[in-house]
Amino acid sequence: MPEPIYLDHAATTPVRAEVLEAMLPFYGPKFGNPSSVHRWGRDARTALDEARERVAHCLRATADEICFTSGGTEADNIAILGTWRARRSEGRRGIVTTPVEHKAVLETVHQAAHEGADERICRMSRDGVVDVESFSALLGTDTSIASAMWVNNEIGTIQPIPDLASAAKASGALFHTDAVQAFGKIAIDSRAIPFDVLSISGHKIGAPKGIGAVFIRRGTVIEPLFHGGAQDRGRRPGTENVAAVIGFARAAELAVAEREEECSRLQAMRTKLEEAILARVPDAIIHGRGAGLRAPHILNVSVPGVESESMLMALDLRGIGCSAGSACQSGSVSPSHVLHAIGVTPDVAGAAIRMSIGSLTTDAAIQRVSEVFPALVEKARGVARVS
Amino acid sequence: MSGGVDSSVAAAMLVEQGYDVVGATMKLFCHDDDLPDRPCCSLDSVNDARRVCQSLGVPHYVLNLESAFGRDVVENFVNEYASGRTPIPCVRCNTFTKFRDLVLKADGIDAKWIATGHYARTIDGELHRGVDHSKDQSYFLWGIDRSVLGRMLLPVGSQTKAETRATAHKLGLEVVAEKQESQDICFVPDGDHTKIIRQRLGADAPALADGPFVLSNGSRVGTHGGFARFTIGQRRGLPGGFREPMFVVAIRPDDRAVVIGPREELLGRGVVARSVNWLVDAPRVGDRVSLQVRHRAPAAAAEIIRLDGAEIELALDEPVAAITPGQSLVIYDGERVLGGGLIERAAGRRTPLPVRAA
Repeated sequence: MPEPIYLDHAATTPVRAEVLEAMLPFYGPKFGNPSSVHRWGRDARTALDEARERVAHCLRATADEICFTSGGTEADNIAILGTWRARRSEGRRGIVTTPVEHKAVLETVHQAAHEGADERICRMSRDGVVDVESFSALLGTDTSIASAMWVNNEIGTIQPIPDLASAAKASGALFHTDAVQAFGKIAIDSRAIPFDVLSISGHKIGAPKGIGAVFIRRGTVIEPLFHGGAQDRGRRPGTENVAAVIGFARAAELAVAEREEECSRLQAMRTKLEEAILARVPDAIIHGRGAGLRAPHILNVSVPGVESESMLMALDLRGIGCSAGSACQSGSVSPSHVLHAIGVTPDVAGAAIRMSIGSLTTDAAIQRVSEVFPALVEKARGVARVS
Repeated sequence: MSGGVDSSVAAAMLVEQGYDVVGATMKLFCHDDDLPDRPCCSLDSVNDARRVCQSLGVPHYVLNLESAFGRDVVENFVNEYASGRTPIPCVRCNTFTKFRDLVLKADGIDAKWIATGHYARTIDGELHRGVDHSKDQSYFLWGIDRSVLGRMLLPVGSQTKAETRATAHKLGLEVVAEKQESQDICFVPDGDHTKIIRQRLGADAPALADGPFVLSNGSRVGTHGGFARFTIGQRRGLPGGFREPMFVVAIRPDDRAVVIGPREELLGRGVVARSVNWLVDAPRVGDRVSLQVRHRAPAAAAEIIRLDGAEIELALDEPVAAITPGQSLVIYDGERVLGGGLIERAAGRRTPLPVRAA
């Protein structure tokens, strides 16, 4: 088999060599607990504080606005449950969000609803963009928090975060954005856009799994989810994952520094792949393509009549790793709630394949996928006709 | 691959024989949080199947066949009980899920063969009983499309269960080697099939409503809590006070009656089946065959006395007990499975009657 091709960077990415190198001392001589008073503790603490500043800098934030978490899911939980619980005594019960959020947001909003929140889900355009009018109409004086993802993880559409954040702020609500897929792809300036809380994750940008951060704007009150220590200003008790934080800071800096160049490289490759597929499979549907603004690393394509489960297997057996919908606990493919929410029919949604490109993707890989994918489609259609 | 010992060893044997193996586990229904740990179909079992494949160096996929299984198997299961019959979901799962839907998935990846851990054998495109008669599963396979037989590989069917476990140890599949096998229906984890009937048809479904116990002479002898709780030949849950042991001999959904009677009323001298499927060229009226009306029942000698498209009637040489509507009639010639059908009813000897519309 030729060299395998990894097309699932939106799921996770390999740890970058520079990141691993930065982390290693903290698994070795610099193993100290940042809360300790001695030299080992000081070494760790200094590195941790510095890393916090570096991550903050990537968002044009201040260090005290960065709280490290175990990843994007915990960041989303702190953002939504933390603000909801802190504000519920004020009588603000409404939570406004979109139907295309990651489950880390949707399920957390459900949890808040169990605790008495009033869950409100806005409408989407068929291209996969939040309907700003619908979103704004759900905001009111009783809204506690509004949450919208910056880049959709399944179809890559970029949401109008500046507009949504402004609308939320105008109603007195807090605004959270899940920027897990956006970080490193879109310039994020916390001084220019009035989000109050923002989630990012390490392993999508070449840091290890198990590290992420939540930006909490100064003055925003959060009720912690964990109890038991003063770490991270009491917002996230527990001994800090120092090595991972160091790695995360390095990966974040690299992602921001390389953003423009990497994005144009990805954009060119995505366009090439998309055009190659459409040329040979003219009825292929590229989800979110009409949105205008799409992050450059995600290509979600449905070929009507070619169901994604078999396609994923066939691709994997040829060494090409893609994904479809969202994987459930057992590892089987479930229908995508995102495609459903933007009005894609179940048949077409059941054919969706997400290819996400990134650091491992080369022109040669794109060339090969451009040949293999249409060939598999043609073969699958042949099979479908025979049976 | 269920994560059990049979399908795991089947995969391992095929890898040893040089096949290019792709492991697949079918996700057939939603795993509830309160599902107890079970030998098959639980999340742990999927993980076991994946680990086995990983150790064999072959890919593993979890295939979501939930909606098709719900339609083809679970829905039919519930409806059959509601009609006073006793279904075998495993037969329909083999017919529609494993050896149809899964075969289509196999087509999708150009897989020539479809292998399972069934104790049965295919010889020259024909289906035979498994070598281990105490584990023989050929009874459950009569409904599959004949054309699939030529693509089936049933590696463990040629050995005993003990040999399968020994192979598992020999090949280092310790994760599954001593796993107990499930006797339950996979979507009825606690053995109470009325739960899913209640879930699908509502608590007020006639099949779960009180009804009369009656004798075959019509006299009422008690009240039962829903005919779906009973099957032909059942003794548990019947009213007492009779001189001889009593059995369920018939279920009448029309008046929700469960008819009970002594053992001789349980005996059938013939059997009528519908939805007949042949795995060989159809036999003829007058052919002598052996048949089984339930799993693990001894084979009974019989003669085909009527063949009418998808309906068949056979006369038994000796009476057979508890011929149960909804169970499978499987027709054998020695070790060879000729075909089968769904039991419609027991019949009198050599007195063919018109089959009631299903």
